Amino acid sequence: MRYIFATWLQTNVPTAPPVYANNGSIWHHMSEALFQSLYRVLALLVAILPGFLAFFVALAVFTAMGMAISALLRRGLTAVKFDDRMARDRVNVDWTPSSSPTALVARVSFWVCVLLGLIIGVSAFDASYATGTTLPISLLPYLTHAVGAILLLVAGNLIARFLARTVLIGAVNAQMQYARFLSLGVKWLVLVLTAAMVLEHLEIGGHVVELAFGILFGGIVLTLALAVGLGSRELVSRSLESHAERTGERGVVPPPVTTGGHAESLRHF
Amino acid sequence: MATANPIPDMSPAPSRTGASLLVLFAAMPAEQLESLLDKLIHIVPPDELLVAAEDLATVEVHPELRILPLPETTAYWTFTSADFVRVYQLAQKHEARAILMLGPEAGSLSSSALFDLCNGVLTAPSDLTMPRYALPANAGLVNSAILYPLTRALFSQRARYPLAVDMGLSLRMAERLAAAGQRFTAANQGTALIWPLNEASVAGFMITEMDVGSRELPQPIEADLNSVLALVAGSLFADIEAKAAFWQRSRSLPPARSILSQPQTTEAAADVTPMLDSFRLAYTNLREIWSLVLPPNSLLGLKRLSLADATTFRMPESLWARIIYDFLLAYRLRTINRGHLLGALTPLYLAWVASHINVLASGTDSERHVEAVAAAFEAEKPYLVSRWRWPDRFNP
Repeated sequence: MRYIFATWLQTNVPTAPPVYANNGSIWHHMSEALFQSLYRVLALLVAILPGFLAFFVALAVFTAMGMAISALLRRGLTAVKFDDRMARDRVNVDWTPSSSPTALVARVSFWVCVLLGLIIGVSAFDASYATGTTLPISLLPYLTHAVGAILLLVAGNLIARFLARTVLIGAVNAQMQYARFLSLGVKWLVLVLTAAMVLEHLEIGGHVVELAFGILFGGIVLTLALAVGLGSRELVSRSLESHAERTGERGVVPPPVTTGGHAESLRHF
Repeated sequence: MATANPIPDMSPAPSRTGASLLVLFAAMPAEQLESLLDKLIHIVPPDELLVAAEDLATVEVHPELRILPLPETTAYWTFTSADFVRVYQLAQKHEARAILMLGPEAGSLSSSALFDLCNGVLTAPSDLTMPRYALPANAGLVNSAILYPLTRALFSQRARYPLAVDMGLSLRMAERLAAAGQRFTAANQGTALIWPLNEASVAGFMITEMDVGSRELPQPIEADLNSVLALVAGSLFADIEAKAAFWQRSRSLPPARSILSQPQTTEAAADVTPMLDSFRLAYTNLREIWSLVLPPNSLLGLKRLSLADATTFRMPESLWARIIYDFLLAYRLRTINRGHLLGALTPLYLAWVASHINVLASGTDSERHVEAVAAAFEAEKPYLVSRWRWPDRFNP
């Protein structure tokens, strides 16, 4: 017991907190700590300021370059009648952009330059940040993850809207009463999938996201399956019957419409 | 309609080795082909005739005929770009003076109809001879609702069947169609549709229309109306977009022809209820998409229609014309995906069909109603031209 007490005294006495005699000493230490903190932050800012400047300079220079290249391309392509040539060569292709080919090329070249400027700027900033701070954290990987997540989010939203419209129009033309419900289901399926992918990409949530996604996705699919299965029994049977009747026939002849014992089929073509 | 018999005057030039008339037959059963050849050799001397067909069984039946065997292709319900390219190559190779193309089910054409078509293509100073079929009121509805009114209003041509399955071509007309078809075949789209009437109008070629009586029209292979309507309307819209510089100028129509009544059917009128159900369901669900394409005035008209009773359901001709013009504009501006756009047109087309059936049930002649629709398209053309040029202008 005596040995333990002696050991305790030996280890604690040198590191014991100083006993301050008055309030002036406390203020002195607090201000010293604050000044040290301020100094550290300012030093960090000074260290990364060149990185900031490099980021903005790179962005500005490459944006200006992009504008110049875009304007040059626009003039050059207009001079060689690029749009007319494309219109002559292009026939009924499914992908038809809303802008003219010249505008599209000019816009793409501009945004490629801006993106290049962004990458170079972020890279310069990242280098100066890594040297300016003692923490071994690099911004670049996280930024690229964030950019990837934003792209995923945008693409997911676009795909969800496109698929929702496709399903809605198809279901309405198939005369399904629950067309809107089906379309909403598909839209939320894609949005949930997108959200899960984005969170996983950002490494947020871990297994919780996977689990939640599995439950939500499965729930939506089950709901849709039940709704379609229970709601369209008659439609499926009607479709199968009409298909059986039409076997061997060719042509767009809708099912005969019976009125008062007479049947007359409409021929759309 | 031409009535003079051209055949006695058709003495072949001794120096010429080619035939006067190249006849291209679409794929059809051998019996139909034989029957058609029987009719043809009574109209055109066999030595003046060059026949191109896929089925060679008739060679033995008609040894006097020169038959060009064609490689078997996928049967299609109408002539495609690949057919136009092929027929021009054949005509050029064999120095034919004129071409007659007979589509599937051409066996249902009468001898007099064939005679008129041959007459039109060989003697009349015409580059494009189009047939005018006498179809029942319940047939060729897409043609009556969209193809004919749109072609008439924009290209100032009165030919009643712009997508006819039979036609006569001069060599220069065939050359032009082959050039148009070549663009599609080069892109591996040999089944793309070509619009001969539009091509002839733009080229300033002479067009003649012949009454050929009744005919069985081949039906598209595609199983559902949505896909075929999208295919045909999309193709016509694309052609109109490509020829915008031509049709924006005002042109006068050829003089009106006497309206031929369609053959009367003894059957009861079709029930419009399923079509109206389809339209009402679409109005409930597709209003959001329609509102991207149609102006408020048209949407208001559709709202009124959705509340109308089945017996009193009538779609005003001007509303239908504006709907088609707005869809054409949206197609050009790519307001929404083109597949979605054409899919959203189907319920509106069914509403027009229901209205058309109701109009016929009230005792109005089918042809008169179609002419009224075409006249509405002409009256609304300034609206299209204005919005085509200034699409961002306020449009109530």
